Amino acid sequence: MTKRRPEGLTATLLIGPATMVVLLSLVLPLALLARYSMNRYDRRTFMVEAFTPENYLRFVTDPFYTGVLWTTFSIAIVTTLLCLILGFPVAYKLARSQSRWKSIGVLLVILPLFIGSTVRALGWMGVLGRGGIVDAIYGALGGSGISLLNSSFAVALGILSINLPYMILTLQSVIEGIDARVEEAADSLGASPPRRFWHVVLPLALPGIGTGGILVFILAMNAYATPFLLGGARFQMMAPMLYREFAVNNNWPFAAAIAFILMLTTLTLTAASSLLVQRRYRAH
Amino acid sequence: MAKGSGSAAIQANGAQLSARLIVGALMVVAIALMTVPLLMTAYMSVFADGVVTFPPSGYTLSWYGKLAEFPKFGQALGTSLKVAAAATLLSLLIGVPASIALVRLSFPGRGLLNVLLLSPLTVPGVVIGLGLYVLLVEVEIRSELPLTGSDGVLILAHLLITTPWVVRLCVANLIQLDRSIEEAAANLGAPPGRVLWSVTLPMMRQGIVAAALFAFIVSFENIEMTLFLISPGTITFPISVLQYLEYRFDPLVASVVVVQTAVIALLLLAIDRYVKLSKVV
Repeated sequence: MTKRRPEGLTATLLIGPATMVVLLSLVLPLALLARYSMNRYDRRTFMVEAFTPENYLRFVTDPFYTGVLWTTFSIAIVTTLLCLILGFPVAYKLARSQSRWKSIGVLLVILPLFIGSTVRALGWMGVLGRGGIVDAIYGALGGSGISLLNSSFAVALGILSINLPYMILTLQSVIEGIDARVEEAADSLGASPPRRFWHVVLPLALPGIGTGGILVFILAMNAYATPFLLGGARFQMMAPMLYREFAVNNNWPFAAAIAFILMLTTLTLTAASSLLVQRRYRAH
Repeated sequence: MAKGSGSAAIQANGAQLSARLIVGALMVVAIALMTVPLLMTAYMSVFADGVVTFPPSGYTLSWYGKLAEFPKFGQALGTSLKVAAAATLLSLLIGVPASIALVRLSFPGRGLLNVLLLSPLTVPGVVIGLGLYVLLVEVEIRSELPLTGSDGVLILAHLLITTPWVVRLCVANLIQLDRSIEEAAANLGAPPGRVLWSVTLPMMRQGIVAAALFAFIVSFENIEMTLFLISPGTITFPISVLQYLEYRFDPLVASVVVVQTAVIALLLLAIDRYVKLSKVV
């Protein structure tokens, strides 16, 4: 009982600064943004104080905006699933590797993270664009001029290549935490490799799949540079649309409403999926 | 009977083989997806033509020589490195103590604070950026201080996105560490501050390095949030590349990126000598 008081004080000193930063630069701006989203846009004065839901109504009633939300959502879901399927084997191999190449492998996964999304988009432009490798091969085979840029395919490919390293690193650390002896036990009890995977490795890796999936999903919902550079002018996703509404149209109230719709969609889905993972994890 | 089990075994082997092939193919695709854009960028940087067309009419290294004529990229790289380094340092300063408090101390509201400190990870970057910009404008109007576009604002904003990574990685690291060593030190008469400085922090070394690394990454390559906070004078490196690409797509920008990649790779290799990255992440 006597120990409680100083411990509370130490805790305040230790955790206080970080809490202040989050409160001041996340909670406060979000509160302000929520207020802005209720204001009204005016052509001359830009923003008029009001208390109206019309920005939100405009978004949900206009098929253009709901379409953009739907595109963003489907790209995010597809890339997240593909990240899981493609990332798992690499993560497993890295986690279980004992060789001296392992640290090189991990470095090669980390390196692209540092290089950023613009650079990856640049590389894909050279592969998919007009005059790019695919175009040249297609031309050599007798076709005439194709560009795979400015399509949902290009955007999905770009996002996938950016998000894969995040997924691999998350999965790798979780798989490393799984005792290799559990797998050996399954093996010596006669489980075939696929069975071992479905009934032993996968259930144990589920928390990592959840964390990695959520991380990658948020990154995809949020993507700016990839849809901007690979999607072209006609392909719309939420983040570039929000930025345009803010910077080009100067419609801050509507941009604020888009921000809240994007945030709420992301939060609802991540909360739902983490609940799902938790429930399954308890059942096992 | 023997024949039956034999063919079943062959069938099982066949299934295993095809499963292996599928797994192998998945790995090849994954590795290709991560490396192709980087290799392609490096390849394009030596194209002789001013327009990227494949196959090129020839190869040249002259684009690298021209880099000096575009000081904008160098300045932007400088800004990015400065902001990322400052945000990393500051987030370690506030994030490491916070994670120690979250794991080692019990106090009311601990669960809530844990959620709060990790929450910037789940809010989309464009939302944070817009919110911060709006707040800055409100503060500017009231205080008449020129805030938007200053380095300090950029560092503070990046602090918000780097701190949750520090907390997340340090908390995960602390949970794995044996608490009894700290208790032993305390029993032997070391005051709490001494325990923290000579026992807990040295034990957390790997977690702290991983945290610093990730903090640096998320700051260095952030576009979504930074987009709202830049000004013509202060631009970060990814955004300067983005703005260039909006109008032009040529080998010059590819060579810029290759130089940046080389700098980062050397940095990583240097860190790897000091702390094994494969053990850290």
